[in-house]
Amino acid sequence: MKNRPLFLLGLFAAVLVSWAGFVLGSHGQLGTLTPFFDEADGQSHPARLPGLAARGQAVYADLGCAACHTQQVRRPGFGSDQARGWGERQSVARDYIFHAQPQLGASRLGPDLMNLAARKPQAPSADDLHRLLYTGSAAHPAFPFLYETRGIVGESSRHAVRLTGAAAPKAGSEVVATERAQTLVAYLLNVNSGFEYPEARPLPAKSPASPEAKK
Amino acid sequence: MEASPADPAARWPLTLLAGSALVWLVLSSLLALVTAIQLHTPSFLADCSALTHGRAQALRETAFLYGWAGNAGVGLGLWILGRLGGHPLRALNWAVVGTVFWNLGLLAGMVGIATGSMTGFAGLQLPRAVQPVLVAAYCGMALPGVLAWAGRKREGTYAAQWYAVAALFLLPWFWTATQAVLLWSPLRGVVQTVAASWHAQSLVSLWLMPLALAAAYYVIPKQTGRLLPGYESAPLSFWTLIVVGGWNFGRHLIGGPVPAWIPTMAVVAQCLLLFHFLVIALNFRPVLAGGSLTLQYLRFGLVAYLLTGLLETLTSFRGVAVHTQFTLLVPAMEQLTLQGALSMFLFAGLVYQLPRVLGRDWTLPTFVSGHGSLYMLGVVVSVLSLGWAGLAQDALLNHSQTPFAEILAQLKTPLLLHTAGQFALLAGNLLLLVAFLRSAAASCCREAGASVLRPASSAS
Repeated sequence: MKNRPLFLLGLFAAVLVSWAGFVLGSHGQLGTLTPFFDEADGQSHPARLPGLAARGQAVYADLGCAACHTQQVRRPGFGSDQARGWGERQSVARDYIFHAQPQLGASRLGPDLMNLAARKPQAPSADDLHRLLYTGSAAHPAFPFLYETRGIVGESSRHAVRLTGAAAPKAGSEVVATERAQTLVAYLLNVNSGFEYPEARPLPAKSPASPEAKK
Repeated sequence: MEASPADPAARWPLTLLAGSALVWLVLSSLLALVTAIQLHTPSFLADCSALTHGRAQALRETAFLYGWAGNAGVGLGLWILGRLGGHPLRALNWAVVGTVFWNLGLLAGMVGIATGSMTGFAGLQLPRAVQPVLVAAYCGMALPGVLAWAGRKREGTYAAQWYAVAALFLLPWFWTATQAVLLWSPLRGVVQTVAASWHAQSLVSLWLMPLALAAAYYVIPKQTGRLLPGYESAPLSFWTLIVVGGWNFGRHLIGGPVPAWIPTMAVVAQCLLLFHFLVIALNFRPVLAGGSLTLQYLRFGLVAYLLTGLLETLTSFRGVAVHTQFTLLVPAMEQLTLQGALSMFLFAGLVYQLPRVLGRDWTLPTFVSGHGSLYMLGVVVSVLSLGWAGLAQDALLNHSQTPFAEILAQLKTPLLLHTAGQFALLAGNLLLLVAFLRSAAASCCREAGASVLRPASSAS
């Protein structure tokens, strides 16, 4: 510690090694991933997010949805991700290559939001999501600031939220999803990891007695 | 009370740092109370767009890390480097300007988060525009410390100096590197997540924890009057933390869409870090005897720090992580690290530093010891209740298909307890802020009085 420049150089090098190893290392490994072209359906996967959905990712990020929701399915058998119907396979890096800012999340106070549009038995519709976002529920806060209530002039808006019961607006007015709400819902319905990439196929389950399973 | 001749010159810059730290601390505990209430009552303040749960969490985290721990840690680091360097601190104007810009930048960043400019990377939610300003401001704040290190009187150095100078020197470097790959020329896909988690871990391991450990290393021998046992291992322990401290972020990414070697490296790093924790336990052993309030803070901090090390090592294994991942056990451990270990070391430093910097004892010592009791109680209650909630959540979330509304309903009791813990933390922090303000005001009045009232007093 007596040699001053050497000490500072050591500090610098320690962090350089860590940063280069982890950040540049994983960039080297995953930075060049390309979409996978499937000859069977003549399309490449994953598809880019549609424009509306791509903008919705920014809304998801700035509202901090990731504080309670993840967007990553772990492999079958690791946790209950598959049993809960969140996805048939684990999420892999290729699923996210067109996400401007992947929102993996680290907390599951709410359900995972990958593959929301492919939930079984019943996938939520855009209307369901708007209703949840506008009114909230016992476990989900409401986001009324993403909606505006206004009088119906002429025809009712095609972005009006269909509400019943106590949440329904007064006669002659309607609750309309703002652009932010529309993009957010479009995003939620477009985040998916449906396609079976070669690297995403889970290892076939083997009985513990078989010799291959020991490898 | 021993004072150093170098202290008076640094009085107001260091008081400014400590004062801003305490204001941010109270703000962050207020926000923590809000987020704690939102956990069991999701509708609380939900219709206020600035305080919707995701944003309130980001605001709380930012205020705590960059506001409270950053300001307090830098203040202590500068003071320690100045005292051990043997000369009065130089270039303090830079520190004052840096502190002002750091706090204004943070304030702008908080407003940005509340109004929708949050970046969405955990630990790095500050809006893009303020991040370079903060790095520049930090360089100003750190300058006197690095100068004191470079121009020190003695050749030999102390552990407190290594930790402090490492923290002052490293933050601008790794923060700039992270900004480059996340904000200015973003990497693709999940590599961003890797970079963001690396940064969030480095913030604690390479910046805040070294500052807190510097304070502890400085205060413990002064308070116990004993040499630190096992001190000859301290350099190796220091380098272990600096070299592998940032490698263990992969424990949060187990099972995720990242290269599998990243979580594996976390296990390796955690096992290597056990050496660091062992040496800290040896070195800090004298505090276990207890005594003054400073030593009580340090004792609590030491126990929390060692527990953190053990729990993080355990949960970096995949078989354990499958139970803990994504549950409230993660925030419980984070609270143990940040409120239990980090804050306690910083409190010990501040409670020891401020009377010496202000040149007078605490005006309201009962408030300070009240803070100690309330804060320790609050940390114990909130960590245990979150841990309880996390264990219950693991059974419901990972091993059954209980609907989420029902999970939250079943967690209500521990989450209400957690809110009570956060309330104690807020109350304690308010006491400390009041005690600080009274002491600073008294010191200020005495200084003003000394110059204004001199003729009168000489007449009498």
